[in-house]
Amino acid sequence: MAVFLQSLISGVLIGGVYALIGIGLTLIFGVMRVINFAHGDIMMVGMYLTYLLFTLMGVDPFVSVLISFPLMFFFGGFLQKVFINRVLNAVAQNQILLTIGLGLVMSNTVMLIFTSDYKILTTSYSSSTIQVGGGVSISTPLLVSFLITAVITAALGWFLLKTDTGQAIRATAQDRDAAQLMGINVSRMSVIAFGLGAALAGTAGALISPTYYIFPQVGGTFTLKAFVITVLGGMGSVVGATLGGILIGITESMSAVYISSGWKDVVVFVLFLLVLLFKPSGLMGKSRT
Amino acid sequence: MRKHLLALGAVLALSPCLMAQKIGVINSMSGPEAPIGEHITNGIKLAEEDLKKKGINLQLVWEDDTGKPQISMSAMEKLATRDNVVGVVGPYTSACSNAVAKLAEKYRVPLLIPAAAKEEITRQGLKYVFRMNAPADKYASSLIDAAAALGKPKSIAFIYENTDFGTSTSKTAKEYVAKKGMQVVADEPYPKGAADYRSTLAKVKSKNPDLVFMVSYVADAILLMRQSKEVGLQPQAFLGAGAGFTTPEFAKERAISENVISCTQWTGDVNWPGAKEFEARFKAKFGKEPTYHAACAYASMMIMAETARNAGGDRTKTQQGLKAGKWNGVMGEVQFADYEGFTNQNNHQMLVQQIINGNYETVLPAKFATKKPIFPFPKWK
Repeated sequence: MAVFLQSLISGVLIGGVYALIGIGLTLIFGVMRVINFAHGDIMMVGMYLTYLLFTLMGVDPFVSVLISFPLMFFFGGFLQKVFINRVLNAVAQNQILLTIGLGLVMSNTVMLIFTSDYKILTTSYSSSTIQVGGGVSISTPLLVSFLITAVITAALGWFLLKTDTGQAIRATAQDRDAAQLMGINVSRMSVIAFGLGAALAGTAGALISPTYYIFPQVGGTFTLKAFVITVLGGMGSVVGATLGGILIGITESMSAVYISSGWKDVVVFVLFLLVLLFKPSGLMGKSRT
Repeated sequence: MRKHLLALGAVLALSPCLMAQKIGVINSMSGPEAPIGEHITNGIKLAEEDLKKKGINLQLVWEDDTGKPQISMSAMEKLATRDNVVGVVGPYTSACSNAVAKLAEKYRVPLLIPAAAKEEITRQGLKYVFRMNAPADKYASSLIDAAAALGKPKSIAFIYENTDFGTSTSKTAKEYVAKKGMQVVADEPYPKGAADYRSTLAKVKSKNPDLVFMVSYVADAILLMRQSKEVGLQPQAFLGAGAGFTTPEFAKERAISENVISCTQWTGDVNWPGAKEFEARFKAKFGKEPTYHAACAYASMMIMAETARNAGGDRTKTQQGLKAGKWNGVMGEVQFADYEGFTNQNNHQMLVQQIINGNYETVLPAKFATKKPIFPFPKWK
């Protein structure tokens, strides 16, 4: 029972961080219909930003979110304006090539600057835990990052539902042409959406760095994960991505316990295929015609 | 040209002591293995200095294999045929050494491999191939022997990355454990780079093993130990087999690395003749602590150069000299013997070390040790 609870809890907590990565990707896809294959690499940039802030200025990784969120927002906005914007009406494979290329440029630039060595952030609380009783313990940094994730997701939900800009973003996501006809500045909404997506990915990077390690090629794993989460939850659905992230987190940790750690990726992808088979639009997705 | 060579040969035969000994070095000086390659290079440079003091004139021919077997092979061809070296020290990685070994045999060039772990290299009956370091199976057996000597462990759990390195090391370990009558209660290969090992570790914890045996590189080693602490995994000993558990980065993480037991080919505080001096000189000259690779490379070059000098620069005589010789130096006693299917393998004594107060301290075998081992593993704070 303790093992079950332990793996459930760590699955949910790590799933929260996955969700944050997935939400960024789904937001970008929703507004621009572009699959951002550089998403994991943007997250990696966020990790290195956190690393720099921590080692050079002693900023705590969790506090550094306040700095890295706006910085990553501008970085994302810049990427959209200079690169992505040009391929919005191009065929899908060209968009994919562009984002993959951007990702490669990012990871190799970082490798040139920081070398390919693994970097580990060691904070005073990196391996501290809270005992919940029954032999179950919760990693403090993971819990904190989950709470921050929850706050950010809630804030994002409020922003999208209640503010004018948020509604404009959703309108653009629903129908780009109609939104433009209604007087919405769709190209600006695209910049904001990509900026937000990048900021969320960067934040996820910052949140995971006290418990994980950093290297230039770390992005690939997370791009794949974000992609699975987004498709699982329904392309373009923020709620779906949140659910998808937590679902993947739990599946990974449960299958590591009850099958084998070596098989957990297999289980995740089988689940992914099953969802695609029986509900091709994803858990929360509405199929478009 | 032939005349020149003949003349050269004549001079060589007449005055072996006056001539510079031409010895080849194949090493990974660039590429992904470069950080370790640097230690090997520096170890050889120190040997060069010491040999000069002993009056042995050395002419080293350096070849960089960038960690790739095919480049390593062409380097060997060049050294054997164009540079006409007496012997070769290197290469670093197992893959390169294994590729080069067959060439050394073909060209009859004595090859002394300082620090490659793959067992097969010296298991092919190659007469011209010698190895300084202990092969991979010793890692597992020396660690398990150490744990068995300290307590009475009955069960063991394996956690290792599912790569060639991880699976092969744990495979030999599992076979060895079976012979010792210990029970394997968990066998967990994991995909490298996963963010979360907590569930795996919780599962291992529920089996309550006496020993936890892990094979990982640096980053995963730190992550695994951090998360072991989180879930409260509490065996009698954590055994780290190589790579990630023997680095300064790991030792620096004192909250989680303290008291972890690992094994290595060499330590700076072992009481082998010249080991402490070697460490001090290495640190003064290169500003870094030497790894075991540096000591292996140093000892290999010393032995190769002295043997080549005594053999008068003749390859066959050098081979015979290496085979017959016996040395005692920074690597302890060295002798290239045939045993258990190995040929020309130095039956090197692995050292078991434990991180005590943030430093690697040699704890076993007792006659080489400077500190007493801490056992069982203290309760997590």
